[in-house]
Amino acid sequence: MKRINIFTATVFALGICAFMPSTKSFAQSSTKLTDPEIASVAVVANQNDIGFATIAKKKSTNKDILQFAQTMATDHQSVIDQATALVKKLGVTPKDNAVSKKLLSDAGNTKKMLSSKSGDAFNKAYIDNEVSYHKAVIDEVGNVLIPDATNKDLKDLLQKVLPILKTHLEHAEMLQKKFNQ
Amino acid sequence: MSTVTVFLRSSLIALGSMIFLNGCSSPSDENNIPAETPEAKPAPSLYIVQIEQMKFLPADITVHSGDTIMWVNNDIVAHDITEEKNKSWSSSLLQPGKSWKLVPKSSADYYCSIHAVMKGSFEVK
Repeated sequence: MKRINIFTATVFALGICAFMPSTKSFAQSSTKLTDPEIASVAVVANQNDIGFATIAKKKSTNKDILQFAQTMATDHQSVIDQATALVKKLGVTPKDNAVSKKLLSDAGNTKKMLSSKSGDAFNKAYIDNEVSYHKAVIDEVGNVLIPDATNKDLKDLLQKVLPILKTHLEHAEMLQKKFNQ
Repeated sequence: MSTVTVFLRSSLIALGSMIFLNGCSSPSDENNIPAETPEAKPAPSLYIVQIEQMKFLPADITVHSGDTIMWVNNDIVAHDITEEKNKSWSSSLLQPGKSWKLVPKSSADYYCSIHAVMKGSFEVK
């Protein structure tokens, strides 16, 4: 009887999990991230967008795309510099985790996809990805990283990063409209 | 000292005081009406626009000819301030913590050419 109860409870719990909507964009578990893990996610998320921008600067000749890509490279590098200075100050070492690994792996696939395109198809694919990537990162920073961060300086930095990401999204959406006209 | 001398001295002091007091006030002060001095221009003012959370705050301001506007970058990324319509003027790259001043000659809409969705304006009266 006891064995049956445990089995039933496990099936029930799995059933609930299967129907629960995911509230974490990149996270595969509901485990709270530690500050070193959050620092790692923040750095990887910014590095990814610099990687996309590097491809855009090589492949595109469109003035708007080149200018946007340069802004992404410069701004995300500024955020990485701030994050690096902060972890140094706090004596924290960014720690790889499921979220940062997933971010890195997804970015690898995106880079392959972007590299396979050229001309207008590339410009459209790049800006479409910038819109969806920034939406996902905004969700992650706002709903996971900021709530999970325990160090005040780290939380403050993430709160400063959020409006930058939102401005990038707005800018990307403005260009996306141009390319879809 | 004679009585006449004392009287004259007292009268001169009183007269001097009246002249001094008259010079410090205007007739209109007595009626609580502001003095009309059309030739006197107000001293130039300094208006500060904070750049915070990727916004110009305040985004729209009104200034007078001769006033100075100073933009202060409180964000963690660089910005610039560029006249929007004809790109007739622009600040240099404004790094975090830096500021830039302008004494505008005419009204303008401006934006950050790095983050094209950041916009502001000033009206010069």
